[in-house]
Amino acid sequence: MNRKRLLSVLLIVVLSLSLASGAFAKGLVRITYYFPVGLAGPLATVMNEYVDEFNALHAEEIEVVPVYSGDYDPTMQKVQTAVQGGNPPDVFIVEISELPTLLAMDAIIPLNEFADEEYLADFFPAFLENSYTADGQFWGVPFQRSTPVFYWNKDHFREVGLDPDVPPTTWDEVAEFAQKLVVRDENNEVERWGVTISGGWNDWIFQGFARQNSSQLIDFVTKSITINSPEALEALEFWVHLTQELKVAPPHSTWSSTPPDFVAGRTSMLYHSTGVLTFMKESAGFDFGVGFMPANTTYGAEVGGGNLHIGKGIPRENQEAAWKLIEFLTTPEMAARWSRASGYVSTRVSSYDLPEMVAHTTEHPEYLVARNQLDYASGKMMTPIFQRVREIVKTALDEATAGKITPKAALDRAQDQTERLLRDWLD
Amino acid sequence: MKSNVYSKSNSPNIFRKFLHWIRVTHAHIHLFLILLCGITIAPYLWALSTSLKHRVDVFTKTPQWIPNPLRLANYSEVFEMAPFGLYLINTMVVVTVILAFQLLTMTTAAYAFARLEFRGSNILFMFFIIQMMLPVHATILPNYLIVNKLGILNTRLALMMPFFATGYGTFLLRQTFRQIPKDFEDAAIIDGCSGLRFLYSVLIPMGKPTLVAQGLISVVTHWNDFFWPLVVSDSPNIRTLTIGLAMFVQQESGADWTLLMAATIFVTAPLMITFLIFQRKFIESFMSAVLKG
Repeated sequence: MNRKRLLSVLLIVVLSLSLASGAFAKGLVRITYYFPVGLAGPLATVMNEYVDEFNALHAEEIEVVPVYSGDYDPTMQKVQTAVQGGNPPDVFIVEISELPTLLAMDAIIPLNEFADEEYLADFFPAFLENSYTADGQFWGVPFQRSTPVFYWNKDHFREVGLDPDVPPTTWDEVAEFAQKLVVRDENNEVERWGVTISGGWNDWIFQGFARQNSSQLIDFVTKSITINSPEALEALEFWVHLTQELKVAPPHSTWSSTPPDFVAGRTSMLYHSTGVLTFMKESAGFDFGVGFMPANTTYGAEVGGGNLHIGKGIPRENQEAAWKLIEFLTTPEMAARWSRASGYVSTRVSSYDLPEMVAHTTEHPEYLVARNQLDYASGKMMTPIFQRVREIVKTALDEATAGKITPKAALDRAQDQTERLLRDWLD
Repeated sequence: MKSNVYSKSNSPNIFRKFLHWIRVTHAHIHLFLILLCGITIAPYLWALSTSLKHRVDVFTKTPQWIPNPLRLANYSEVFEMAPFGLYLINTMVVVTVILAFQLLTMTTAAYAFARLEFRGSNILFMFFIIQMMLPVHATILPNYLIVNKLGILNTRLALMMPFFATGYGTFLLRQTFRQIPKDFEDAAIIDGCSGLRFLYSVLIPMGKPTLVAQGLISVVTHWNDFFWPLVVSDSPNIRTLTIGLAMFVQQESGADWTLLMAATIFVTAPLMITFLIFQRKFIESFMSAVLKG
């Protein structure tokens, strides 16, 4: 009896607490919006500003509660916990390769009814590739998007007699330039690397190399896995050539240590995301260039970043409010603003014609490189439980560049492990 | 620091003789300790130094220990990016309330397990031990479901409630209580002191080192906890320091080192200062907890 009373007292306290927080204000649709911050800078503050503007526009109708949710991984985990806990967020941004996992969890709704063709036609096609399933359903709107690009230190180029304005454009040239740029001390220890292919997300960059060799690793729509294709093998052999035979590239590195390495002059050329361009500009005490990733049979890149999704199992009016927020955040004007504030590539084609964007890109033409490279870019590979596929691919790449295993054995093993891991999905 | 490193009466005689035999003097030991101290403190000093640098000075070819020019603006920039003052208060509230509840639940539970005989006490105690072995991540979803059912998501209570009881603390304290001879209890009973009174005036004072040790572990653990607060909190009004800290680590671009280090120094400073002030007390408690345990 006593315990029951205690419980009811507790319940009343709890209810009044949630009432006090104003969750049941009338006539107002309140939606939660989880967003990660993937790049350096006060982006959480910027995002809060955008949401404040949206709320001011829709006062009395909609109130968006912006929730900063950590990095991409914590955000996905927060979404997963919330969905399984029966409390899905209304709008959220997660890393683009998570789409199959979200679908497997039945966590999101298709957006075809909201997004008309005219709206979608203005997005860069490569950015849209991670939004569709084979049945033509559209699940996520591109928002904070990037691609890897190629950075080179112009001072180092001058120092070794290379033209500082002409970066390598082919794999062969990368190897050739790197041999000129590498600096070794009297004990033959490397003091400065010729080129660095950043680790950590090297699966992402490797996918670009497969593209540059007219192939791909995983196609989500056709469910084909070709990690050990001859083209991919040639790409990995090129990496091993750089790291093990020529010893002009470090066999190991981490994603966050290589931009500082470049800035400190410990590597002359670098493969990294366009997202670090602003960091480089602020931190580098020298002249550097930004270009396309060099080609083999063709130029090639793959997109990255995060898409906006609407959660499943929320009331209809919340879905509509959520779409209004997405529309607001992805207008050409907002896409341009976000791109300038963050360093991400703007997702809307027409945004680059806006006066403020023209002014910005005339002053800093290096911000156009990633956009121009989109002509050669494709979607990022994705599968259900993609995090584990990534680990498989990364382990194969790391062991091969470290010389522990031949490129062929590494890729064959990765192919086999991935096929076994995804056998239910492949059937 | 102390000249009697190994001449203390409680250090074993053989050890002393051994040191003497291999000709290790105080100077050697001090040198070794200074070296250890240097290794321990270097990362912290490096973080402090980075937090006061300009971005271009962080990655120089020869490491620069003393920032020149000095840049204090990193700290103000950090404060602009998130309400760190509020986060600090929230963290202190969360940590203190959790500790208060843990002290209450663990002393009473440990007393029951150590001194009372009741049916199923062994099985119940086994559950406590199992709880110790469960990885935190395995309990996140069940905890979330409960918190959601109670309707307290996004409140301070949700940040704290799952940690009101502690299996580890209960276990530790039960062992301590069990080592206190039964004679004390008999004597207390003869003097008319039993039950909770006995717990309060005899057992707790004697178990103080364990309580301090567990208190430290609890405070540090919850001060550093990131994932649970992130999952159950949405509003900045109740969020804790670690969530603010995470804003400076980014997957796509790597970290913003100067700001990240400034934030790290700010986040760790309160614990650091507290520890420095109460250092002697803490170490004494730990030593006696270890020796007794």
